[in-house]
Amino acid sequence: MSRYLLRRVIGMVVVIFLVLTLAFILVRLAPGDPASLLLGPDATPEEVVALRVRLGLDQPIFVQYGTFIGNALQGDLGQSLFFNQPVTQVLAARAEPTMFLALFSLLVALVIATPIGIWAAYRRGSVLDQGSITTAMLAASVPSFLTGLIFQRYLATDLGWFPASGYGGAGASFADRMWHLVLPSITLGITNSALILRFTRASMLDILGEDYVRTARAKGMTERRVVLRHALKNAGIPIITVVGLTFALLVSGAVVTERVFNLPGMGNLVVNAVLRRDYPVIQGTLIVVAGLYVLVNLLTDLLYLVVDKRVKY
Amino acid sequence: MTFRAFCLATSAALAMSAATGANAAGTIEVAIVGDPDTFDPMASTKDVVSIVTQHFMETLFTFDQEWKVVPLLAAAMPRISEDGLTYTIPLREGVTFHDGSSMDSADVLASLQRWEEVASRGQGIADKIDSIEASGPNEITITLNQPYSPLLSLLAFSNSAAVIYPEEIIADTIDTPVGTGPYKLEAHAPDQYTQLVRFDGYSQPGEAAGERQQIADEIRFVPVPDTNTRVEGLLSGQFDYADSLSTEAYDRIEASDVADPVLLEPFGWPIFAVNHKKGMMTDLNIRKAVQAALPFDDMMFAAFGDEKFFQTDGALYPEGWAWRNEAGLDQYNINDQEKAAEYLKEAGYDGTPFRILTSRQYEFHYQMAEVARMALEMAGFTVQMDVVDWATLAQNRDNPDLWDVYITHSPFLPEPALTSSFFATAREGWDNPEKNKILDQFTSETDPEKRKEIFAQLQQVIYDDVGLIKIGNFNALQGKATALSGVNPSPWPAFWNASLAE
Amino acid sequence: MAAASTAMAPPSFRNLLFQRPAAVVALVVFVLIVAACFLLPMLGLTEIGGMSVRKRLTPPGAEYWLGADAFGRDVLGRLLVAGQTSLGIGLGVAVISSAVGILIGLVAGFFRRLDTPLSRVIDAMMAFPDILLALSLVAIFGGTMMNVILALSVVYAPRIARIVRASTLVIRELPYVEAARALGTRTPTIMVTHVLRNIMSPILVQATFIFAYAMLAEAGLSFLGVGVDPRTPTWGIMVNEGRQYIDTAFFLILFPGAAIALSVLSLQIVGDGLRDALDPRLAKET
Repeated sequence: MSRYLLRRVIGMVVVIFLVLTLAFILVRLAPGDPASLLLGPDATPEEVVALRVRLGLDQPIFVQYGTFIGNALQGDLGQSLFFNQPVTQVLAARAEPTMFLALFSLLVALVIATPIGIWAAYRRGSVLDQGSITTAMLAASVPSFLTGLIFQRYLATDLGWFPASGYGGAGASFADRMWHLVLPSITLGITNSALILRFTRASMLDILGEDYVRTARAKGMTERRVVLRHALKNAGIPIITVVGLTFALLVSGAVVTERVFNLPGMGNLVVNAVLRRDYPVIQGTLIVVAGLYVLVNLLTDLLYLVVDKRVKY
Repeated sequence: MTFRAFCLATSAALAMSAATGANAAGTIEVAIVGDPDTFDPMASTKDVVSIVTQHFMETLFTFDQEWKVVPLLAAAMPRISEDGLTYTIPLREGVTFHDGSSMDSADVLASLQRWEEVASRGQGIADKIDSIEASGPNEITITLNQPYSPLLSLLAFSNSAAVIYPEEIIADTIDTPVGTGPYKLEAHAPDQYTQLVRFDGYSQPGEAAGERQQIADEIRFVPVPDTNTRVEGLLSGQFDYADSLSTEAYDRIEASDVADPVLLEPFGWPIFAVNHKKGMMTDLNIRKAVQAALPFDDMMFAAFGDEKFFQTDGALYPEGWAWRNEAGLDQYNINDQEKAAEYLKEAGYDGTPFRILTSRQYEFHYQMAEVARMALEMAGFTVQMDVVDWATLAQNRDNPDLWDVYITHSPFLPEPALTSSFFATAREGWDNPEKNKILDQFTSETDPEKRKEIFAQLQQVIYDDVGLIKIGNFNALQGKATALSGVNPSPWPAFWNASLAE
Repeated sequence: MAAASTAMAPPSFRNLLFQRPAAVVALVVFVLIVAACFLLPMLGLTEIGGMSVRKRLTPPGAEYWLGADAFGRDVLGRLLVAGQTSLGIGLGVAVISSAVGILIGLVAGFFRRLDTPLSRVIDAMMAFPDILLALSLVAIFGGTMMNVILALSVVYAPRIARIVRASTLVIRELPYVEAARALGTRTPTIMVTHVLRNIMSPILVQATFIFAYAMLAEAGLSFLGVGVDPRTPTWGIMVNEGRQYIDTAFFLILFPGAAIALSVLSLQIVGDGLRDALDPRLAKET
């Protein structure tokens, strides 16, 4: 197992290195000279040259690449053009809403999807099975900004159940900030529940097909007891898998959801960065999010080892 | 202190206020369209910068309710010499900056000199200013090399504003503003809010500018880029004021019992800015063709939907303004594509694409462009619409190779000379000798009646030469909480004097 | 896993698919949507592009079946034309990402030396969330339909590549493939004749889902203001344009929103049906 661990960690390091490389290439692909892009149209030629030197753009591309990787590994992702602050600092200030939004919406999705998924597998082929899956898929087929807009309009503004937007403003307490995440989390959770539901149902069907379940059945255990005893005992595995699977989905969804609810998170930041042509921030967000994805997937793989005794590597 | 250090200090302040728990009473929350990219009003012409900074930065003069120039940091209106060249401005005594120092003529001198260097509107008149001198501890003298009547309006305007800083902090870029206004900048969390608090050492301006009571303890400006979100925030009681709302939301806001619509009528004018530097629009016949082809009433209707929100009016100023006149209006809203086709034929138009540069930052810009495209195609133009995001538009419009017209809008400005498009130095580059002569007369004439007459000539030549294309008048919609009072409708709403009912 | 079992049992899923009424209904719905979008405008049955500003925001009725938009344009006609672009983007992404994914997956699965580096590149590419990567690419290269398609293809290709690689690893060891190799059949020929034929079904399933996700992603990009140029309307753009009329003309959101939801839903049901049909064990159980 320690050899497996080592192999996975090495794999992860390689992937992170590649993520950095891709992010480096991406911004270099932008048409035009990065220095002029960074400085905007008002810059004088002297300023452009000065910035080229400062950014090391006058160096050969491999030297630039080396510097970029070196800086990134030391936690330096460059300087935001708009905020004139280090990118890492800008991102750190935006991490909280995005992190909790992802977490809460995952919880919402799990709460909706896991019981229905198990139930649907138990009654596979029934109207309930088809109906619940179709409903969940329909909810996931509506663009999430539309779901958010409608929730915001009716649940927040008209009924006043939730705050309509924002993150509580200056000096808001932690509880208040979290309260502002409830409606966005429900929006994003519903959108993502279909995937989890399908996954739970499929894993459940797998388990119901296992030998020990067949044995249990053969011993005369009722189907309900079979499901309750074996399904719930093994529910941890699909949940862990889904966390890894949906992470990227949640972040993508967070970009849109944060925009709808005007949450000051990383998603809103990156959209603003795109509209402001703040390339270092775009690049930095890509790197951080991709890095998190890799980390989350490593952790879920390791959790398998702990939870599921059957998995051997 | 650098911007970064300022942000750090801000987060410390945040942590403290979070610990004590913010007191919501006496706080006015205002939804604005974006985050100010600077708090130095000299360096920016953006409306969000004006709206926010006017609370902490003050100018020598300001406009009253009737858009008349009145003294603010000046003690009185200036003494102007017979020849119109020397302005002697007395300064108010006992005015305190937020850092505790008191304002004197050295601060004003340094600030105005900086304004000439860094502010686009200051740069625009720098060549007309011979000297600025501190002629006494509380007196400043500006000497011009030719009479220039819009000077006081420029000094009063909140956009690219001639604000007064303490001499000590004057630098090329000012990240942490220190002003004299009734509120001071407390904290700025980028993309989240700008927090202003009452400045206890504020000294009230004279009667003409009116009292600036500091009723609210705090004013918070929250950037909310999405129009729908601003409306929902207002209607759910989250914001006490919201700027720039879609007129489509009017009925819903009116029906609400927590908020009321604030209609600025008329607010401003959408403009097709014409590229006189390069491309097909340098040909008068092509310009005439565009002017003749455009269906102004349909463009306004598509963009604003209800007569309540617009007027199809070609005069550069609407009814009720001193500048209003009817010159040249026979050429407005011709809406005759066949006539346009004749102009095109005369120009020998070869089907080169006519490029409309626009963005969807303001949906009505795009909507007017779409309707214009249809009419121009009917007249025989090949139309190329370049719909880009705002950042790209702001960049591309400075390159005359990239567009023939771009779409913009302006509020009705108290002084016509504040409209930069009239000047040959603007990016449109409209360098018509006759117009230049009229404009020179207009800016050097000081008699208001004569200026009105000259302005009518200017309007005539704008139509005759198609210097720019005015589409109409539109009303802007803002919204306020029912509980909020004391805010005067303005393109740049101010929140001193504002109070929230219990 | 599903892929491996299919490889053993050559696909006869057509019959199995048609045992699933939901999947059949979904397939019919989707085909109808496609047919409407591409055929009706071609036959000149809808009015497209004409503006009559004075009739803006006319509610659905006899004159305009689905109402008129802010320019007084027929929503139905626009909906169909926009559908061509939206479906085109979905299809384009599904095809391009499948093609690229198949190529990478086959190479990684067949050439051991390239397997590890390619797999890591796939992992790295999968680490970028779809909207985020597409957003950045479109920001850098501009919002044309082709760029949106390419950006989303970059995002989804690794998913296909992963499946193809896994299947290839299994199939290449099968006796008849080894036999073919022993007989001196060239590697590319083996890839195409044996491997590709066997893995077409799982790819088809995955491509169906990618089709759906790409349409949703396009709508999201339009909402964020960085999608396709608005002059070539898409359903996402139409919904986004309708947002400001949510109070005065809700139908402007309703119809394109429903078009997206219905297409995406039917694609996913078809995809699920295909997958169930392909998995013999599940088929047995249901």
